[in-house]
Amino acid sequence: MNRPIRIALTKGRLEKDTVGMFEQLGLDCTAVREKGRKLILPVGDGSIEVVLAKANDVITYVEHGVCDLGVVGKDTILEMQGKFYELLDLGFGRCKFALAVKKGTDFYSGYGVKTIASKYPNVTRRFFEAKGMDVDIVKIEGSVELAPLLELSDGIVDIVETGTTLKENGLEVYEDVCPISARLIANTVSMKLRQAELEALISKIESYFSTQNAG
Amino acid sequence: MNKYDKITPEGTRDALFAECTLRRQTENRLHGLFTARGYSEIITPTLEFYDVFNREAQPFPMEKLYKLTDSKGRLMVLRPDNTVPIARVCATRLRNAALPLRLCYQQTVYLSSPSLKGRDDEITQAGIELIGSDSRMADLEVIAAAADALQACGEEYRLELGNAAFFRELMSQLNAPDHVKETIRDCIEAKNYPALGDILDAMPQTDTTKALRMLPRLFGGEEVFAKAAALCKGQHFASILGELHTLWTSVAQFAGKERVTVDLGMMHRTDYYTGMILRGYLAGYGEEILSGGRYDKLLAEFGYDVPATGFAVNIDAVVKVLSRQQNTAPEMQQRSNVLIWAAEGCEADAVEAATNLRKKGLIVEHSLSETLEGAQKYAAEHGIDSVLPIEISKANIKAEGGAAQ
Repeated sequence: MNRPIRIALTKGRLEKDTVGMFEQLGLDCTAVREKGRKLILPVGDGSIEVVLAKANDVITYVEHGVCDLGVVGKDTILEMQGKFYELLDLGFGRCKFALAVKKGTDFYSGYGVKTIASKYPNVTRRFFEAKGMDVDIVKIEGSVELAPLLELSDGIVDIVETGTTLKENGLEVYEDVCPISARLIANTVSMKLRQAELEALISKIESYFSTQNAG
Repeated sequence: MNKYDKITPEGTRDALFAECTLRRQTENRLHGLFTARGYSEIITPTLEFYDVFNREAQPFPMEKLYKLTDSKGRLMVLRPDNTVPIARVCATRLRNAALPLRLCYQQTVYLSSPSLKGRDDEITQAGIELIGSDSRMADLEVIAAAADALQACGEEYRLELGNAAFFRELMSQLNAPDHVKETIRDCIEAKNYPALGDILDAMPQTDTTKALRMLPRLFGGEEVFAKAAALCKGQHFASILGELHTLWTSVAQFAGKERVTVDLGMMHRTDYYTGMILRGYLAGYGEEILSGGRYDKLLAEFGYDVPATGFAVNIDAVVKVLSRQQNTAPEMQQRSNVLIWAAEGCEADAVEAATNLRKKGLIVEHSLSETLEGAQKYAAEHGIDSVLPIEISKANIKAEGGAAQ
């Protein structure tokens, strides 16, 4: 007997949205809703198991095949990259990567090399590489908005949802980098060895979205 | 201060005892399997000039190679692949050898992987290359060897077939700049349906874009052929699909239908493949364990235009799967059957006695203890069945005999 299909969920908002979606699909998620401190939880009739993890770890678990599927934000995928199948845009968790600067700054003016603070150095590097522009990137772990305010950097590349945090700190979006939403990813070998089971679940999710979009 | 004198570089590790045994067994089993099919072993150097791998299609990105320079300042690499050096040998020293050439190898490759991903940078591969034939039988011979190799590594295996020409043909029909084609290739390899859809939506809709959209989904059992035929019309596609279907049917006959699947969206990261491509999976490992295919243009890049096909097995991955399955506690060392203890002056006799016992197939160890009691204690602690004390020396007997005369 095979082990249940294991799905790694990004803890927090994506987890709630995914559980909501599973329930719409008729899967019993009581165990996840009342999880306590447990990290591996059964869903539905026990043929599916949910693993709760941090975003980066979702990708790691799926890449190594210890989880078959994963739900993770495009932001994490862009930053981490790796070898897995990216099957569906789940539509929730929508936001964007953007370059933000102090209000009223003309970012591209002048000949000095710019400094950018970001939690996402790889995304930042690729964005400016595509422009053929050399920048110094400083990795910041917490509130990136501080860096331009403290004059450590000329701008930041970060996730922007409503823009309220930026506004309250006197920053503004200068340029959009790319849109972000939650993705369903799959381990490349699981997809082959458990094709029938995984495709059944995936097509269920797909049809859920098509009815949702139609409604 | 020697900061790094007690650790191995990231992506490498020491293998001890049970793991070595398992590795050696796997290697021997595969080697036996290859030689039984008429393949002869070759060994190429670990160090090669960078130019050998700097191919037209750039299959080996510069940042993934381990590089160094020789005493003349020329750029060298630790080989990242076994097929390219073998192609080099075929195009040079084996150029006048009768075709087909059946070559097998077992060597390490080195590729630097992103840090902290839990990947190996040093991987042992065992594989075969069949040089000089583009016949269906050549492909089938290689696939059959791959099936046997997988079977030798685990009961629950899956063999997957594809064809690199299928995607190339689709791309040649697509009117798009190269960088867009590159992105499309990445999306299909990653089965990234959403991104692929976005790119194709922005193009004029044709039969080709429709087929490309479906390509990542064209994997599974025999039903894939009918689906693909409905999507991709034209003589060229029909012949690729027909050829692959015939191969599939043959492989299904000897390996079993449930063990062979098709993925028309399969792409290999090394881009020298031109025709049939294959991958092998074992349950319990998150990446492919075997990979290969037909590469009819690679030797021509070395100035010897002959077709070729082959595959490689990732021995490290197989050992990981097997050791997990066996689930045995890592055993310390091999156990000896006999411990030989020598009294003072009888050391040479002990060595001779040990040699004789080893000839009978026993594992014999010398006691390094000064006393017999010490030897007995050691044997008890190490689970050695018997202790053989040697207390009379041949030399003494001779000497005494001589004295008596």
